[in-house]
Amino acid sequence: MAIILQLLFTGLGIGAVYALVALGFVLIYRATNVVNFAQGQFAMLGGYCMVITTVDLGLPYWLGILITLVVMAGFGAIFNLGVYYPLRHRSFLPVVISTIGASILITNLVLGLYGPEPTTLPGVIDFPGVSLGAVFLDSQYLVIIAVTLILVLLQYFFFEHTLVGKKMQAVSQDKEVASLLGINVTGMIMLTFAYSAVLGGIAGVLVAPILFVSVGLGAQIALKAFAASIIGGFGDVPGAIAGGLIIGVAETLGAFYISVPYKDAFAFILLFAFLLIRPQGIFGEKVSQKA
Amino acid sequence: MKLLELSEVSAAYGAVQALRGLDLVVGEGEIVTLLGANGAGKSTTLRSISGLLTPNAGEIRFAGQVISGLHPEKVVRLGIAHVPEGRRVFPGLSVRENIMLGASNRRIARAEMARDTAEMFALFPDIARFADTLGWMLSGGQQQMVALARGLMARPRLLLLDEPSLGLAPLIVQQVFRIIARIRETGTTVLLVEQNARIALSVADRGYVLETGRLVVSGKPDALWNNEEVRAAYLGGKRLSEEQKPA
Ligand SMILES: Nc1ncnc2c1ncn2[C@@H]1O[C@H](COP(=O)(O)OP(=O)(O)O)[C@@H](O)[C@H]1O
Ligand SMILES: [Mg+2]
Repeated sequence: MAIILQLLFTGLGIGAVYALVALGFVLIYRATNVVNFAQGQFAMLGGYCMVITTVDLGLPYWLGILITLVVMAGFGAIFNLGVYYPLRHRSFLPVVISTIGASILITNLVLGLYGPEPTTLPGVIDFPGVSLGAVFLDSQYLVIIAVTLILVLLQYFFFEHTLVGKKMQAVSQDKEVASLLGINVTGMIMLTFAYSAVLGGIAGVLVAPILFVSVGLGAQIALKAFAASIIGGFGDVPGAIAGGLIIGVAETLGAFYISVPYKDAFAFILLFAFLLIRPQGIFGEKVSQKA
Repeated sequence: MKLLELSEVSAAYGAVQALRGLDLVVGEGEIVTLLGANGAGKSTTLRSISGLLTPNAGEIRFAGQVISGLHPEKVVRLGIAHVPEGRRVFPGLSVRENIMLGASNRRIARAEMARDTAEMFALFPDIARFADTLGWMLSGGQQQMVALARGLMARPRLLLLDEPSLGLAPLIVQQVFRIIARIRETGTTVLLVEQNARIALSVADRGYVLETGRLVVSGKPDALWNNEEVRAAYLGGKRLSEEQKPA
């Protein structure tokens, strides 16, 4: 029993990271109808930004986080201008290819600047964790779960209870009408990219102390997050969160009970199962109808 | 006074030329209707005015200022609200939110926005009890009311209405047109696109008839209605008897 609780805790922790990146996928998809394949690279950049500020430059952790948030927001805005905006009137495919190109570019820039060696980032709390009976709650996993919970609540409040949030929803539902009403469509999409980059960056900051910070970090997380958003029902916000948590738990249980080397395969086994049995995902419409 | 003036406006979708040198004038305080068969270019005219489409020739002036080529967000700030064909209510937002967002062209505080929204619910009592219902759950008539209310929230000097009667039951159509007549009484100028010529001519001061992007004839409702050729070709045929003549 204790071991299952232990695995659930770990699975929810890593699942929360997938959920944050999946949320970024979903928000951009809803605003632009485009899947941003560089979403995982946002997480990698967040991780490196923390390493540079807190490890290399020796700045305090809180300042590193602050700088990372600002850098990620700015990066999201630039990403929007360079990767999405020039192609915004084109169809799905050119934009998707543009995001794939950007993801390759980002990966190689980091590789060029930082090399292939993985680095480590210490956790935010300098204390290992707490024991709850036979279950050990690692502090970094606790931080991940708490931060994710807070972000999800903040995001819910923002989209449901602020005017800007409503305008962003309007833009994602009908850009033409939104512009007829005088809503700044370009600005709202810019904001969506900035926020999604921040979400990805935070996911990277949170997961860096658990995994190594490396150029492969982005792809590793993005594939799972992408699977999570399909399992949840692509384009669905609660679905992305549920999908992320499900994958986190499934791969943790799978690694323990079935096979450690195949840990990364469980997300995709789950994805295939969903595509066969319930292709519309937990909450969503059919993927085939959306694409 | 001329509020809106189109001079030799042409517009195209790729290779499809949808407007071919259209001249049109709307005076302050008028209701002007734009009639014509499906595909005549009526919606294209409204889209060119509101900035969804940039004309490839000609000029559009509003209150003396050239607006052709301006972005829709700018046009609506100048005082032109466009209620598009098919109503296009935001499906995932509530009725109240849909209406509130209609004021996005004005820089007003949220409290004022809420006050104006309440005013709209007074003008459209039928949708007041659906304030918290999501757009996609509404009937066509309710959606049209929301779309109209959302357009009026912009406090426009000129309201562009694209086929407000489309797909509505006759009783609802009458209701919608009573509201349009009321809108004019508040001093708002209306450019009304319709396929239902009879009801459009019953509220309009003047009308234009379009065919394949060109102006065919224009004039007072009576003159248009009595023009046999026009009736046969564009206003739904000669079947309409004299008793159905607009008031
Ligand atoms: N998005 C579009 N792409 C290509 N052609 C279009 C588009 N919209 C309208 N058209 C064409 O432009 C012409 C005028 O259309 P429209 O202004 O919608 O007519 P109406 O509103 O009078 O029915 C038609 O021939 C129509 O086929
Ligand atoms: Mg039309």
